Amino acid sequence: MPAIAPASPVRSPVKRLAGKLQSVIGLAGIVILAILLSPTTPDGANVFLQLGNLTDILRQISVIGIIALAMTFVILTAGIDLSVGSTLALSTSVMALCLTAWHPAVGMVGHILLSAFAAALVCGAIGLVNGAVISVAGIQPFIVTLATMIGVRGLAKWMTGNANIDIGFGTDDAAVFAAFAREKATVIATFAILACLFWLCLSKTVFGRYVRAIGDNEQAGLYTGLPVRRIKAYVYTLCGLLAGVSGILYTGENHQGNPNAGVGYELDAIAAVVVGGTSLSGGKGSISGTIVGTLILGVLTNMLRLKNVDSNVEMMLKAAIIVIAVALQRTRWRRDT
Amino acid sequence: MKADLLRAEGISKHFGGVKALRDASLSVATGEVHAVVGENGAGKSTLSKIITGAVVADSGNIFWDGQSVSIASPMSAQRLGISMIFQELDLFPNLTVAENMVIGNLNVERSSWVDFEKVDDFCRPFLESAKVRHSPRELLGNLPIGQRQLVAVARALSMGSRLIFMDEPSSALSEDGAAILFERIQEFKRRGVSIVYISHKMQEIFRISDRITVMRDGQTVGTRTTGETTAEEIIAMMVGRTLSGSNRNSSVKQEPRPLLRVSGLTTARLRDVSFEVHRGEVLGVAGLLGAGKSELGAALFGLDRIHSGQVYIRGEQVQVRSPRHAMTLGLGLLPEDRRLEGLMMQMSVRENSTLAVLARFSTAGFIRTREEQTRSSQILESVKLKSNSPGAPVSTLSGGNQQKVLLGKWLLTEPDILFLDDPNRGVDVGAKWDIYAIVDSLAAEGKGILLVSSELPELLRCCDRILVLHEGRSMGIVDALTTTQEEIMSLATATAVN
Repeated sequence: MPAIAPASPVRSPVKRLAGKLQSVIGLAGIVILAILLSPTTPDGANVFLQLGNLTDILRQISVIGIIALAMTFVILTAGIDLSVGSTLALSTSVMALCLTAWHPAVGMVGHILLSAFAAALVCGAIGLVNGAVISVAGIQPFIVTLATMIGVRGLAKWMTGNANIDIGFGTDDAAVFAAFAREKATVIATFAILACLFWLCLSKTVFGRYVRAIGDNEQAGLYTGLPVRRIKAYVYTLCGLLAGVSGILYTGENHQGNPNAGVGYELDAIAAVVVGGTSLSGGKGSISGTIVGTLILGVLTNMLRLKNVDSNVEMMLKAAIIVIAVALQRTRWRRDT
Repeated sequence: MKADLLRAEGISKHFGGVKALRDASLSVATGEVHAVVGENGAGKSTLSKIITGAVVADSGNIFWDGQSVSIASPMSAQRLGISMIFQELDLFPNLTVAENMVIGNLNVERSSWVDFEKVDDFCRPFLESAKVRHSPRELLGNLPIGQRQLVAVARALSMGSRLIFMDEPSSALSEDGAAILFERIQEFKRRGVSIVYISHKMQEIFRISDRITVMRDGQTVGTRTTGETTAEEIIAMMVGRTLSGSNRNSSVKQEPRPLLRVSGLTTARLRDVSFEVHRGEVLGVAGLLGAGKSELGAALFGLDRIHSGQVYIRGEQVQVRSPRHAMTLGLGLLPEDRRLEGLMMQMSVRENSTLAVLARFSTAGFIRTREEQTRSSQILESVKLKSNSPGAPVSTLSGGNQQKVLLGKWLLTEPDILFLDDPNRGVDVGAKWDIYAIVDSLAAEGKGILLVSSELPELLRCCDRILVLHEGRSMGIVDALTTTQEEIMSLATATAVN
C-alpha cells in the first residue's frame, strides 16, 4: 500500500527516465557481454558484431517476437494465452495444406495470399473463441487457453494425419512462397512492421488505453462504462491472429507444415513479455519493453551458441535471466509506489 | 463495579495523513458486556483491532489485569486471552468446523500429524457450550451464517479467551440467529467472560450490554451504565453538539417533471424506495452501514438488477441496462471505494480523468492528445486539483486529490444527475471543503445531486433534503433546513419505531 501523504514527492525526471531505461540498460549489458565473450574470425573481426550474425539474431527472435507483441496486450489485461504454440502449429498446417493440396485458379500470388489469409483467419477465429469464452462465460484465461492449447494441437494433428507436409525447392507456388518467406528481410520486416503497429495501438489509440485500464482495475472499468468484454475478446483474437502470422513465417522458414511445431512457444513469448517489464497482474507494461525483452533473450541465446555452450546449459541460464530480470523490476516497482 | 480486566488509555493511531484515533480509551470489567457505539469512521474498529493485535497503535498504554502489556500481534493477544470475531467472519469456508477451531489455536497440542479423533474431542465441549448443532467434521461453508458465527464464538472460547471483541456480530444474522447469540452472550457473562460488543443497533445494545462507550471522530466521548441512560442520550453523544439546519443557498427548481423520479424501487438489498430529485437539488442519502446507500447507486447505474419499481429520468421511464447506458442517459456514479471501483491506480492523473469520455477525443480510434490534455487540465483545474504533474501515477496523490481526479472524470461526462457515494471518505479537511464547494456549484448549474455520506453534519451542510435508509427501506425524507442530527439518527437506527 502506498502511504498517501499530501505532499508525495514526485520523482525527478532523471530518476524516472532511469527507471524506464532499466530494461534497455539490461539489454546493453548483455550485448557488451556478448561482444566481450564473442570468438573472433581468423582476420580478427568480432563474430558477434558481424552483420550476418546480428541479422540472424533478429530473424531468430521474430517468430516468438511477433507472438509476444499480442501476448503483451493479453497480459496487460491481466490475462494469459497458453494456446499460441498450438495455434502456430495449426497455422503452419493450414498454410501448407492450402499451398500444396488446393489449386484455385487465381494465379500464383493469389494462391499464396489466399492461403495466408486462410491460415490467419482460422487462427484469428481460435483467438476469438478464447476471448468469447473468457469474457462471456467468465472462466479464467489460464483454463480456457489451456483447453484450446490441447484441442487446437489435436485439430492440427488430425487435419494433417499427424504428418509433416513438406514444401519442396522447385518452382511451384509452395516453393516460391517458402523461398520468399524464409528471406531474412521478409521475416525481420514483418516483425518490425507489426511491432510499430502494436506500439502505435497501445500508446496512441483509445483501444490501447482501454486495454491498460481494464488490466489495471477491471471493476473500475465496469463502473466507468468501458466495453470490458469486447476489449477482452479483441485482445485474444489479436493473439490468435499473430500466432497465425508467426505460423505462416514458420512454414516458409522450415519448408513444411508441421502439426508438432511451436511446442513451448507460449512460454517463450510470456518470458519475453515479463522480461520486458510487463506485469502479470495487468495494467503495467509496454510494447517497447517486450521488444527489449525479446532481444535480451535472443542475444543471450546467440552469445551462448557462439561459445558452443551446451543447449541444456543455455536453458538453465535463460531461467536465471528471467527470474533476475523480473526480480530487478519488482524492487523498482516497490520504490515507485 | 468489579476490577477492570482491560484498561486502554491514550490510544492514538493514524493511517497516512488521517487520524483514526486520538487519545481514545476503553475499560472493560470482568464478566461485563460492554457496548462500543459510534458512527461509521468513529474509530470503533481501529480501537478493537489495536487491542486484539491486528493493528499496532502509534501511542498509548494497555493494562491487562492491572499489568501494563504490549500487544504486537493477534498471537500475543491470544496468549493474554483476548480474541476478536470480525465483521466479515474470519473463518475458512472450505475447512471443517473442527479445522477452523484449531487452526492457529495455541491451546491445541502441536504435532506433525493430525489426529482427527483428538481434534474432535478438543472441539466438542466448546461447540456444545456455544450451542453449535453441527458435527465438527462438517464443512464450515455448509453451515448457515448464524451457526458460523457461533463456531467463531466456540473458537474464541477454545482459545481460553477471557475477553471477546465482536464487531457488528448481528449484522448478518436473522432475528432467531441474533436471539441465540444474545442468549450465549448472557451465558458467557455468567462464566466471567467479558464481551466488547461493537454495534450501532440501539435496541440490541440496550438489551444486552452493561455499559456503553460512545466514540466520535476517533475519540472516546464517554461511558454510561446502560440502565442509567437512554437511547436519546447515546445518540446525542454519537453525533456531538446539536447542529441543525442547512446553511446552503438552495437552488432547487421545482418543476412538474423532476429530473429523477424513483418509485417503489426494489432490489436484492432495497425495499420499495421512492424519491424525487429536481434540477439544482442536492438530495442527501443517510443510513448506517448496510442500510443500502451504495446499493441505491448500483441500482440506478445498471449494476444491480431491479426486481420491481420504476425509474423516470426527465419524466421518461427508463430501464438502465448497464453503466454505459446509464451514462448516455446523463447519470454519473462516483463510487464509494475509489481504489477498488474508481481509479486505475497505475495510470496517470490525466489518463484517469479522461477515461470515461476518451472516445470523444479521438479520430479513427487515435487519441487527439492535444485536446485530451486541454480538456483534462481544464476539468482538473475546475475541481481545484493541486498537482503539478498530470503524468504522475494517480497512486502518488493524496486521498483528497485522488477523489478530485475521480470527480473530474465524472464531470467530463457532463452528467445531469450525479450520485456521489461518500466522496469525503478518507479525504483531508481542505479537500473536503473544496468538494463541498464543487457540490454547491454543480447544483447551482442545475444538476441533480444525490450525496451519500456517513457524516451527518456534512449532509446538513450540503443538502436540501435527506433520504434516510434503514435496512434497505426508506424511513422518510427530511428537510435539511429543519431537521436535526438526532432526528436523522433515530430514523437511521429505527429507534423512533419502538
